[in-house]
Amino acid sequence: MANAASIEINQVSKVFPGKGQSAGWRALDDATFRVDPGEFVCILGPSGCGKSTLLNILSGLDDQFEGTASIHGRPVGKRNYDAARIAYVFQEPRLMPWRTVRANIEFALSAANVSSSQWKERIDRVLALVELSDFGDFYPLQLSGGMQQRASIARAFAIEPEVLLMDEPFSALDELTARRLRQQLLTIWGTFRSTVLFVTHNAFEATFLSDRILMMTKGPGGKFCDEIDLRELARPRSYEDVRVFETSRTVVERLVSHIGSLDEH
Amino acid sequence: MSLQPLSVTRFVPSILSRKSAEDRARVSRWFEAHAADRVIKFASVLSLLGLWYFGAALLPASVMPAPHIVARVLLHEITLPRIWINVAITMTRIVFAFGLAMSVALVLGFAMGLSKTAARFFDVWVVCGLSLPSLVLILTIFMIVGLNDRAAIIAAAIPVVPILTINIWEGIKNVDQKLIDMAKAYHADRRRIIGSVIAPQIAPTMLASARFGLGLIWKMVLFVELLGRSDGIGYQIEYYYQMFNMSEVLAHALLFLLIMLFIEIILLGKLERRLFRWRPIQRRI
Repeated sequence: MANAASIEINQVSKVFPGKGQSAGWRALDDATFRVDPGEFVCILGPSGCGKSTLLNILSGLDDQFEGTASIHGRPVGKRNYDAARIAYVFQEPRLMPWRTVRANIEFALSAANVSSSQWKERIDRVLALVELSDFGDFYPLQLSGGMQQRASIARAFAIEPEVLLMDEPFSALDELTARRLRQQLLTIWGTFRSTVLFVTHNAFEATFLSDRILMMTKGPGGKFCDEIDLRELARPRSYEDVRVFETSRTVVERLVSHIGSLDEH
Repeated sequence: MSLQPLSVTRFVPSILSRKSAEDRARVSRWFEAHAADRVIKFASVLSLLGLWYFGAALLPASVMPAPHIVARVLLHEITLPRIWINVAITMTRIVFAFGLAMSVALVLGFAMGLSKTAARFFDVWVVCGLSLPSLVLILTIFMIVGLNDRAAIIAAAIPVVPILTINIWEGIKNVDQKLIDMAKAYHADRRRIIGSVIAPQIAPTMLASARFGLGLIWKMVLFVELLGRSDGIGYQIEYYYQMFNMSEVLAHALLFLLIMLFIEIILLGKLERRLFRWRPIQRRI
């Protein structure tokens, strides 16, 4: 246990039961991997390969699966309050529209049992990090989609998570906004050094962000098929960097060699 | 040379007082939106009055008295205690019937929204309740309970229960599962999820149901009073109808309409706006 993994997934399979005679949908097949503390790992795979299922298992939203999944050595589970501090950024912002941005973050802080004396300081800090300092008292519906997603990232970092799960958080945004947010995410990650598990189907995004890419094959029965180490790619990375661009092309080539074609994307 | 002062005066305030300029813009936008609203509403009330006058001109005054005649009768009536006693009686019945209908509908609606078995079970009841004419329900209850106030309240409440139940049920079905998942992912406990995530989502439906229910209940109470009571506004209306005194009938109806409009628009409407400030407002950034 000298070098405890932050996230450890062992032979995890998940079958969604079918109705009547149908066999059901095998979303994950024998997935095994580990993520070290402070590592930024992207899971890259086509739609429907079970990426989101994996995050739901890790966050405890889904506890019907085979195999073992643990975070900081503790098994994940629906009501495992002792589990490590986990934050989740979804594809959509999932902010409560009747609460201001600040009150939305307060909800996560109170759920994480952070003492209320720290709230103001923490919220001010994360809002500044996502450049929303002036918008704490706004309601989500008064903000643009990109700003809402930034607020949800602020909510995630406010609880100072040991593990941050991200499910294609930028896929619903326009490319320019997404680029800005990716860069912001890396800056914030640099200050917090949380372990990040980031799910995406975008090879360039995965290359730009991660220390390591885990590739998955097409569903049903998505499997991990390849791993690419990107620690050589110096940080901070920039979009103009030729090396990032070229690495991402290799990543795409490897992805294509595994899943056949990129028709869907 | 002559342009410079102009551009400075234009430019400087827009930076120094950007906030107040924004505020002012917001206020004027609000005013603009609401001014248009008011004009339309005013025109609507006026044309309603116009229609009434038109009807009064076509029909004999004993059948359809003109608005100003009814208003004169009403002004006289409200100086006497009798009408206020009847208003108080009817209002009391409304309060009790509304409380009863809302409580039953809340229990049924929540049960149906939270349990599939309950939904299947009560679905038949609700459909039957909706299809049965209120008149049949009311007469049956008078027969069972007797011609008393208790019966009147139950009879006014029962026909409204199925409609309210459906409303509340729909509201609970529409709760956003994604937000509940978010709360669970952040390890919020059950109490927090119900209090902070589910309750605020059902509140709008509850309030809408309450408004809707109140609107139905007061008509039902008048109907019940007409059928089986010897006091209250409904009875007064029936009494004057028997006397062929349409001015009094309309005067009583008008007074009650004004009271209910006041409760509905001023009180409940204000509460709704207060509770749901977060809804999409005038501006996005």
